Amino acid sequence: MNALLTSAVAGLTAGGTYALLGVCAVFTYRLVAVVNFTGAAIGTAGTFVLIALYEAGFPIWPSVLAGIAAGTLVGVAIGFIMTRWFGEAGASTKAAVTVALLVGIIAIGLRLTGGQHPHNMPELFPGSAFRMAGVEVTIASVLTIGLAALFTVLADLFLNNTKVGLNLRALADRPMAAELLGIRVQLLSLLVWGMTGAFTTFALMIIAPQRSPNFMTLSLLVVPALAAALVGLFRSFWRTLAGGIGLGLVEGMASSVDSISQYRSAIPFLVVLAVLLWSQREARWDEAR
Amino acid sequence: MKRASLKASLIVIAAALVAGSVAWLGLLPSYWVFLATSVLITGVALQSLGLVAGRTGMIALCQMSFAGVGAWTVGYLNLAEAPGGLPVWILIGGLAAVPLGVAIGLPALRLRGINLAIVTLSFATAFDTILATMTYPGQTDFLQVPRPELFDSDEGYFVFVLLCYVAVAVVLEVLSRSRLGASWLAVRHSERAAAAHGVSIAMAKLSAFAISAFIAGISGGLLAGYLGTLVSENFGMMQSLSLYAVAVMTGAHFAEGAIIGGLLVVMFPEILRRLDLPQDIGNVLFAIGATQALSTGETMSETFRRQLRKLMPARVKAAASASASDLPAPVSRAAGPALSIENLTVRYSSVVALDGVSLTVAAGTVAGLIGPNGAGKSTFIDAVAGFLSSYEGSIKLGDKPLEGMPAHLRARAGVRRTWQTNRIAPELTVGGYLALAAKGLSASETKAILGWLDCPDPDTLVVSVDAGTRRLLDVAGVVAARPAVVLLDEPAAGQSHEESVRLGQRIAEIPKLFGSAVLLVEHDMDLVRAVCSEVTVLDFGRVIASGPPAKVLDQGSVKKAYLGIEEESVAA
Repeated sequence: MNALLTSAVAGLTAGGTYALLGVCAVFTYRLVAVVNFTGAAIGTAGTFVLIALYEAGFPIWPSVLAGIAAGTLVGVAIGFIMTRWFGEAGASTKAAVTVALLVGIIAIGLRLTGGQHPHNMPELFPGSAFRMAGVEVTIASVLTIGLAALFTVLADLFLNNTKVGLNLRALADRPMAAELLGIRVQLLSLLVWGMTGAFTTFALMIIAPQRSPNFMTLSLLVVPALAAALVGLFRSFWRTLAGGIGLGLVEGMASSVDSISQYRSAIPFLVVLAVLLWSQREARWDEAR
Repeated sequence: MKRASLKASLIVIAAALVAGSVAWLGLLPSYWVFLATSVLITGVALQSLGLVAGRTGMIALCQMSFAGVGAWTVGYLNLAEAPGGLPVWILIGGLAAVPLGVAIGLPALRLRGINLAIVTLSFATAFDTILATMTYPGQTDFLQVPRPELFDSDEGYFVFVLLCYVAVAVVLEVLSRSRLGASWLAVRHSERAAAAHGVSIAMAKLSAFAISAFIAGISGGLLAGYLGTLVSENFGMMQSLSLYAVAVMTGAHFAEGAIIGGLLVVMFPEILRRLDLPQDIGNVLFAIGATQALSTGETMSETFRRQLRKLMPARVKAAASASASDLPAPVSRAAGPALSIENLTVRYSSVVALDGVSLTVAAGTVAGLIGPNGAGKSTFIDAVAGFLSSYEGSIKLGDKPLEGMPAHLRARAGVRRTWQTNRIAPELTVGGYLALAAKGLSASETKAILGWLDCPDPDTLVVSVDAGTRRLLDVAGVVAARPAVVLLDEPAAGQSHEESVRLGQRIAEIPKLFGSAVLLVEHDMDLVRAVCSEVTVLDFGRVIASGPPAKVLDQGSVKKAYLGIEEESVAA
């Protein structure tokens, strides 16, 4: 029992990261109507700026800041492409664009970072925060979950309690209409992209030491992130948060069972399947067509 | 096989004959033949993706996983020394991928199409980890997948792969011009409009997934014969992703798009390698190319085809001309009510859109439904045709209640509708659209119906038909099916006065020519007066008058509803 608990708790850092990435995906979807497949790749780009600076001998915290700034910039750049050329495109087209961009970003990333070549990723927050039922809970896991929860609260407050948020919610699919209401859609969209870029970068910096830090593996963390977002049906931040953390816990537990541990990357797929089958009990028509 | 698909197939076969004989006669260096084989195998995989991504417009990101299933199946059959040799194993490999394709398609059927992207991407990840734990069957014993004896050399295997490519291309060409192919395009353009023609959305999507997985499985089997033994990296998620980008960029649902895509995938790394440049730059270019194609909404193949049409302008086709005697025979129906609605009430949360509406359309007649904007006319049609999730009251077709039937089954039972905005997939031909709307229509019947409504020739692409004529095409589609009831939603909107007079004459003929009762929703009062024998007036979701048009349209309450003022002030 205790072994299972230990391994479940070991999955908390990952869970917090999935949750944060998932909440960012929902945030992006609700505000700019894009299902973003590049989410994790944006954060990965920032993380590798940190790694490059750190390996070049720069002190760690300035490097972290530079990495976050780089992630924000990459987010803004992708946001620019999306708002500039695909502002009025349909949801499917936008998603397809982010898939295409993901292919490009991974290719560039692998090229610049030397492919599968292992990197020396500093652990930013080593050590244990506290003991719970005899199990060490790491600072990293407390931090990712805390950050995810903070983002959830902020996103909820912004969308439900500010005028801009309410307007944007109503008009996410029709940026032109929001523009007519006097909302600076272009600027706000870029802000959304930049902000999610910064948060995902920080989350990925924390989880990177636990994974084999190569560009592709980290970029593909978008899969559990989107699975978490699906748990929240791309609408509820709190359910997404729970979904992400839950996913991490299940993964943690699975890794302690020898016979299934090597298949644990298949867990998001099973979650996605389950959520979709459950959520389509009632027929709905594709968008408003 | 239709004439058009015969022509397209012949072009593919002729090109293949040339390529095949060049290789067979040894006119090319072996290395180039080897590369060309790889181009064709990628082309087969791209065609499989083109079916889902290009035709039905969904994002599928695990195509190489299906190919992996095909490849591994071939490996196991080789290890087990199954009878039949490579060609049979490849077919079995394709079939093995089908259930997987269907299973992954199932959860993404009803909800937004983006779910398929998520489900396929997560499947590709899962498949990656599973494949990583397995070596290729027979690899440890250095067992290679043997090629068929006749095609054992590199040149020979090229011809074998070429045969497979052509077979896939021809089958897809024929399918794409069939009613099934038209239903794929229709679903991509508008699910509701497709369902209104009796197309089952689930069947359309699942058949596309199944066929696509089958072809992808075949490409995997071909790869097994090509390389002899395989590694899991051949079928990784990144391969699937980059294949998707290429498919979007070149338009893999066209035979030439798949070849161009295959050339890019294989030749790009080759050229980069010779230039001593890193080979993974290819993916960056595919990403840019795909983004560009998505932003212009036009793939490379479509650009080529458009340029080609510019160079060789097609002969201007006259309007379809055919004698009215070729019109399909009307379906004779019993007299009495064709459609009866009692106490229909529809609520959108607190708003009552329809409030206890009762209405009957007698067989063999044209009835009118009028009312100011927002009166609930389109909601009424949505409810009758099965596009609302819930309503109260009863809707009967003849004496058969329609409650609980989804839209496509109501359409098949005999309720057909048109839409206020045009929803015909622009990639279809006029004839293809009629074939989608009415199963089993003969060529002469198609021409006769088109001629009857002054629509263009069946071979004309819908994209080149003007908006006004497309609305007529909508009407042509529903009457061609000869249903019990036709619901026309403002067919005269956007038509000139002369056109709408002519359309009125046609609508009046529908009961006699096709045996369908008509419910006409229209704002054009002249049209309503001219064709309707009964009129029902809605205002704020309630019936405020009904009866013969001459009487109803003169009532004060009707004028008030339309003009918003009392009759006296109008007179003054």
